[in-house]
Amino acid sequence: MITVRIPTPLRPMTEGKSEVEGKGTTIGELIDQLNAAHPGFKDRVCDERGEIRRFINVYLNEEDIRFLTGKDTPVKDGDEVSIVPAIAGGTHG
Amino acid sequence: MLSIPSDIWQDMIEHARALDPHECCGILAGTDDHVTMQYRITNILARMHDEADLAHFDQAKLSDLKNLTPEERADVAFQMDAQEMSLAQKDIRQKGMTLKAFYHSHTFSPARPSLTDVTIAMEFENYRERLNIPEPYHVIISLEDKERPVIRAYRIQESQATEIPVQRRSLPV
Ligand SMILES: [Zn+2]
Repeated sequence: MITVRIPTPLRPMTEGKSEVEGKGTTIGELIDQLNAAHPGFKDRVCDERGEIRRFINVYLNEEDIRFLTGKDTPVKDGDEVSIVPAIAGGTHG
Repeated sequence: MLSIPSDIWQDMIEHARALDPHECCGILAGTDDHVTMQYRITNILARMHDEADLAHFDQAKLSDLKNLTPEERADVAFQMDAQEMSLAQKDIRQKGMTLKAFYHSHTFSPARPSLTDVTIAMEFENYRERLNIPEPYHVIISLEDKERPVIRAYRIQESQATEIPVQRRSLPV
């Protein structure tokens, strides 16, 4: 199994869990499998073209998958995938 | 303490002015207390038309943002482009430097972190150590008084922002 760390903004998709387990041989497959287990998950992580959303980085262990092979990056049992929103902020409130 | 060389200090102000009334954002890197590098990062809010892209914001902020156009959202908030942020982090690592601070501008309010700034900084704290990123300071450039920009730096820990001294360092002649 692959451990996937979920940031707070996406936890409504995973029944509030900060970590879920997933399966797949690539990051893309893992996302599809998580979407089957948590309907709507993929839509929050990927845009309409299927690309990772512009405010999110996906790390395999400590490396951004953009520096590997993106959604084709192979994953294996015991890997840790972190979904990490880039820094943001707001003026009021 | 955070020591920022005068050229980077000036460029952060220029960056804030160039995007005004939108908020600008970026990254400072260096060694120890000394900032030596700056990365301008795109505030992608103005081009985000899909509400799913606003997922990062807390409920209160979200209901605010939903009533605004994407252009207006960039006036009151920022969202770093994740890819540019990641590329900057990679460059910093390759140069043997450390990420020292995230910066952004407030175009019509004081140089103090907002509740949303603090909430999102704390969210970043949750995974920062696991990804081997040292604790960043948060630098805010205020253009509330357009003639007199103010730059302040903060530590954000346990949902509290504490101001830290920031120094404008003259460049060696
Ligand atoms: Zn702010």
